[in-house]
Amino acid sequence: MVSADELRFKAQLYYDDVSVGAELPPLVIGPMTPTHLFRWSAAIENWHRIHYDQNFAVYHDGLPNILGQGSWKQSILPRYLKDLCLPDGWPWKVSFQHRAMIVPGDTLTVWAKATGKSEKEGLGFVDLDVGMRLDGDVESCPGKATIVLPIRGGRPIPYPFVPPKGA
Amino acid sequence: MSEAKTGAAENPLTDKIKALIGTSAERVEASPRWGIEREGLRLFTNAIMDPDPRYWDEEFARKTRFGGIVTPPIYCSYLSRKTPAGAEDPISRAFRENPESDGIGGVREGGDSGPGALPPVPTPLKRILNAGNEIELYQYPRLGDRIYSQARYADIKGHITKDGSPMLVITTETTYTNQDGDRLCILRASTIRR
Repeated sequence: MVSADELRFKAQLYYDDVSVGAELPPLVIGPMTPTHLFRWSAAIENWHRIHYDQNFAVYHDGLPNILGQGSWKQSILPRYLKDLCLPDGWPWKVSFQHRAMIVPGDTLTVWAKATGKSEKEGLGFVDLDVGMRLDGDVESCPGKATIVLPIRGGRPIPYPFVPPKGA
Repeated sequence: MSEAKTGAAENPLTDKIKALIGTSAERVEASPRWGIEREGLRLFTNAIMDPDPRYWDEEFARKTRFGGIVTPPIYCSYLSRKTPAGAEDPISRAFRENPESDGIGGVREGGDSGPGALPPVPTPLKRILNAGNEIELYQYPRLGDRIYSQARYADIKGHITKDGSPMLVITTETTYTNQDGDRLCILRASTIRR
């Protein structure tokens, strides 16, 4: 996990410094507990019992345990990309699929690997493979993303973000 | 023999379903009347374990490129799920109607037919699976922003699977904007109906 001060003082990752094939710093979360899952359900008012009522999850729905929420996973990937881009880059887009279930006890490693780079209108676009790996190298959330990083000596990335035509 | 084994299954993408592609729902307000507020933001950022000071430190946030406190990237997509103050308690209602409620059915006000909902896809295929999500980000919401959402059917494809079963892949796209009409983010969710 990262601290508030690490995010406050984070050094910019530049387009120039990312090589295709490079793995970017991962975010490790966990081990997950029923309390983490319940906190998410409460925060977004998702009362589906499979996420916090173990008897219901196991004996009614036949699941192995209470399950981590897909909506939580959906929020973690953009959060991770946001952290990678801070302070002046932009986590433009991400797509992913929901695969392996997350259950209490799992530790998650959110990861990204650069698969391509391109410069458009003075902005640095980096394509990534991304995911959320569980213990035993089980992939829970494989996907692809594009982040926009500043080029050393280049123009600032516009905010609100406006993608170049054809990007 | 089943339809699948005789090869008789038809592509489930009917003309009626095709006609839904591009259909938009009403644009509705997703946030409460008082807009994005600090306490809801605190609960959310704690739940994603993100201590970023851009979400809570006013002085620091003011000096960033965002010019003030912002929310996590897709925070705005969760605002409409919250029960408005003063509403009938949906949890009590759901369990009164069905003591075995799963906590979802009957709980969300309006369900899939409330304001801002897309018309249902007329198909006998009932089983729903999540096929994936896409997110595009343009701007982060700020404290006090009022958030609006508008959904549309971006695409619907029909297939016959290898085992001969009919299947639809339905992609809905929801665009979130603020009170000034600025685009904040676009979320696409694809579901499989089998």
